[in-house]
Formats: sequence, structure tokens, C-alpha cells
Amino acid sequence: MSLLKVEALTKKFGSKRSVDELSFTLQPNTATALIGPNGAGKTTAMSMITGLLQPSSGAVTLEGNSDIRKHIGFLPQYPKFYSWLTALEYVEMTARLSGIPARDAKKRSETVLEYVGLGKDMKRLTSTFSGGMKQRLGIAQAIVHNPKLLLLDEPVSALDPIGRAEVMELLKELQKETTILYSTHILHDAEKMTDQVLFMKEGKLVEQGTLLEIQQRYANPRYSIVFAYEPEAEAFAQSYNDRAVREGSVVTLPINEQLPTMKALMTLLSSSRYEIIKVERESASLDQIFMKVAGVGEFATSTVH
Amino acid sequence: MNSLQVLFIKEFRESWRSFKFVWIPLVFLLLGVSDPLMNYFMEDILQAVGNMPEGFQMLFPELKPLDLLMASTGQFQLIGVIVLIAVYIGTISRERSSGTATLIYIRPVSSTSLFISKWSVAALVAVLSAVLGYAGSIYYTSVLYGSISAQAAIAMIATYAIWLLFVMSLTVALSAAFSTGVAATIAIIVIPLGGMIDSLIGSFWSISPWKLVNYGVLLVGDKGLNDYYWKTLAVTICLTIICIVAGIWATRYNRSRTKV
Repeated sequence: MSLLKVEALTKKFGSKRSVDELSFTLQPNTATALIGPNGAGKTTAMSMITGLLQPSSGAVTLEGNSDIRKHIGFLPQYPKFYSWLTALEYVEMTARLSGIPARDAKKRSETVLEYVGLGKDMKRLTSTFSGGMKQRLGIAQAIVHNPKLLLLDEPVSALDPIGRAEVMELLKELQKETTILYSTHILHDAEKMTDQVLFMKEGKLVEQGTLLEIQQRYANPRYSIVFAYEPEAEAFAQSYNDRAVREGSVVTLPINEQLPTMKALMTLLSSSRYEIIKVERESASLDQIFMKVAGVGEFATSTVH
Repeated sequence: MNSLQVLFIKEFRESWRSFKFVWIPLVFLLLGVSDPLMNYFMEDILQAVGNMPEGFQMLFPELKPLDLLMASTGQFQLIGVIVLIAVYIGTISRERSSGTATLIYIRPVSSTSLFISKWSVAALVAVLSAVLGYAGSIYYTSVLYGSISAQAAIAMIATYAIWLLFVMSLTVALSAAFSTGVAATIAIIVIPLGGMIDSLIGSFWSISPWKLVNYGVLLVGDKGLNDYYWKTLAVTICLTIICIVAGIWATRYNRSRTKV
């Protein structure tokens, strides 16, 4: 039984479709990364799931229910807080607005603020908080009511490497108890915490699966051989017809049935008279996969060397 | 109405911690005391400042308490109301444009609670300002110019408070409906300019919210209750309710305009 079901979600602004027939489901207690370049419609999709934005068509249901506001926690990319409230007052207010009874709200808020590491600062005004502290406060307000689904829009993009690692650690902890959907354009973040990847481009869902599946689909593994002399490289490349690509004294060979292992290649090369400088097995990095799926095609292949 | 209570506390804290509960009533108090004091001491002030030619004679009109209350009311209408509008015109729109509203709007909170919490705190500040402003004005007027019946004074203050409730409901509703700039423009056109138009060519009609203030002050005078007082009061209260309903609707309609 899936927790969240998104069906043919579409948002039109004029004639432009910011989100176009987006459909996916989330299983309970999984982490899903919504990936895509800037302007792919990730934030618009998130806004529609939270109910802030009315979809042009399509539906979002949580366990079959369409009013999901009580069961979600949301962290926007740049959370903004009321500067005149303290962290504790703020979280307590959001807890009560989410339906936590007054007698539990304060205790629950204190627990959550302790949990995100703001225990010492909970009596301070939010206006005095640094970027990392604001992000933690944002997480605190998103989890204070124990939501079934946690939506995070670019939770770590605005943070420095230390803050990023800390927040990712926090999210990994949370993943044990709740379902998480977060957007990011940094694949290395997705690598750390994800069961499923949804890849959006121009409002459409273009790729879907586990990160490993996608990686295998786009890895395009190959050998790259650096020859000492260019004529030898040319001769070697010609023996493979159009399957080998030569650039100067570097030849790239796709990995296929004929050359499944490095050992096979080495045997082949050592039995030849060629002078070899370097042999390497390569596959596309996450960034390259990102660009390939995002459709920056030529760029993706030309940088693979 | 649990969420209304929570949001009311939030709005109250905002106005309290930014000293709006203090400085806006103080503005009204200063405006209120200025006219009775200035008029009473005008002759002394002019003599002290000097530079009057020898034998210069000035005739000061014999002022009645009603004239001074009229003058104070004019100050409230001209300056006080603009201060109130300026302070509260962004109360909803600014939260949307800064994005602070986002984390409220994603929660199961009704638009009614959102709007009423904003309006009631703004109204509270406005009523407090009216009471303090008139208290200052009435005190000095009664000390320096003659007594005012307490009953009439209370009726006048209550009338002015109802007018301010109308002004604040329009202000907050405009804030819910438009961006801060547009809302401010409309509010400034409707309230102060509307008042000017009403006083320039208002003799052609007898009932309008802008006239309510005038009728309210007249309660203190000899003639007392104006024939159109109750109708004007009813019209103003109706318009206030219309503004509140429209404001709640606009709050709901514009939810998605909050910055994410």
C-alpha cells in the first residue's frame, strides 16, 4: 500500500506547463529524491503536493485522502520565520496550528528543538539565527507534529559543506520513522540518502528508479587506451572499425561482448606490438548522468574521457 | 477555534514587541492634546515668539468645546488614520512576499482564522489609539474650555472607534487582496481622499462612512443626535462586515501567492 499517490499532476501558467502530467507513488518509510535542473518544476510540484498551489489538473492523495495538510511537514528552500518570535515560540505555534493540543505542544517543541541541535538556542529570537540554524529550525517545524510525509525543497543546497553533512545526517535519522520526498540538484546528496530517484525535466518525469538502476542505464562503460605513438593508435582504432573513437593518441572502446573484462583487453594489447602508456576503465559520473538525462547531450559525451 | 487563538497570540506578540501598542496610541495622544493646548495658549505663544508690530491687535474666536473636539478629530483623520493604514497595510501582503506565510498556509488553518487574527489585533491598536487620543483631547478641552458630558463623550469615542474598525477592515482586506504597494495606493485614495471628497461635495448626500465621524463629534454639541446618525452607523457597520468577508475570501484566494 503506497503512502502518497500523485496522479497526472499538471500546472499551467498561461500556455507554459510548469509541471506536466507528473505521476508517481511513494512507499512508506522510503526516501525519494526529486532531481532535475533549475526550472524543471520541482518546487512547483512540491507546492502542489503541499496544497499551497492549486493544480490545473491531476490529484494528490495520501492514503486515499485528498486533504493532506495535517499529515505533511514541509521545509521550503529558504524558510522564513517571524523575526519577533523565539525558536520555541515559533515551533510551538506551528505545532498547535498542525493540531497538537496546547498541553503537549510546548513539550513536543522542546524535544524537537533538542533533537535538531537547537536546545541551547530555543529561547533566542529567530532573527539572530545563522543560515544553518534556520535550516534546523525549519526541520524542527516540519517534524514537530510527527507528519507521515516530509517534503523538503532543496534542504541542503544553501548550506556550507559542514552544515550540509549535518543536515543530511539528521535526515537519515528521520528516514527511519517517516517518508521523505526531497528535491535537489546535487546528485551526491541523493547518493547518500535515497531509495528512489525521480528525474524531472521541463515539468515532465523523464527517469525513475533506484539510483543504481539509473546509474547502470547511463553509465556507458568503456575502456580508454593511451598510446605512445599516434600512428599506432590509428592502426588500433581502425581494427575496430567505427566502434572505437580516436582522439590523438587516445582510443576509447565501448565495453561489450567482445571485451567484457579488463583482462581480455590486456591480453589483446600485450600480444600486440603497440607501446601503451595507460589503460583505464571509465564510466559516467553522477554529474555526467545528470547532464545526460537533463538533455545536455553533446556536453555529456564530450566530457567523457 | 484553536487556530484563531494561536494566530491571535502571534499577531499580538508582533504588535506588542514592535511597540505598536505604545507608539501609535502615543501619536493619537499627541494629536489629541495639541489642539486644545495650542489654541488656548495661542496668544501667549505669539507674544512670546514676538516680532508683532506695535499696537497689533488680534481677534481670537470664542471657541466652544465642540470646536476643539472637531479640530482634534480632524487631526486624527488626517494624520492618525494614515499612520494606522501605513502600519497595517502590509500585514498580510508582506508576509506573502517575504515567504513567512508559507509555513502557516501549509497547515490546516482556515482563512477566517488568518484574517480575523490580523484584523482583530489591528483593530485593537486602533481602538486603543482612539480612546487615548480622545481622552487627551477631552481632558484638556474640559479643563480649558468647559465641561463635556461624559455620556456624550463616550458615545463620540465609540462612534470613532467604529469608524476605525471600518478603516482597519478595509486596510487588512486590501492587504489580503493585493500586493503592499497596490493596497496602500487604494487605501490612501479611499480613506483620506474619500474624506476630502465627502467634505467638499458631501452636501449632496447625508449617509456615508466618512460622515459618521462628523456625526459622532456632533453628539457632544447642543444639537446632539443627527437624524442620519443611526443609518450612517448601520451603513458603516455593514461595509465593515463586507470588507471582512471579502478579506477572508481574498486571503483564501491568494494563498498560492506566498513565496515558496
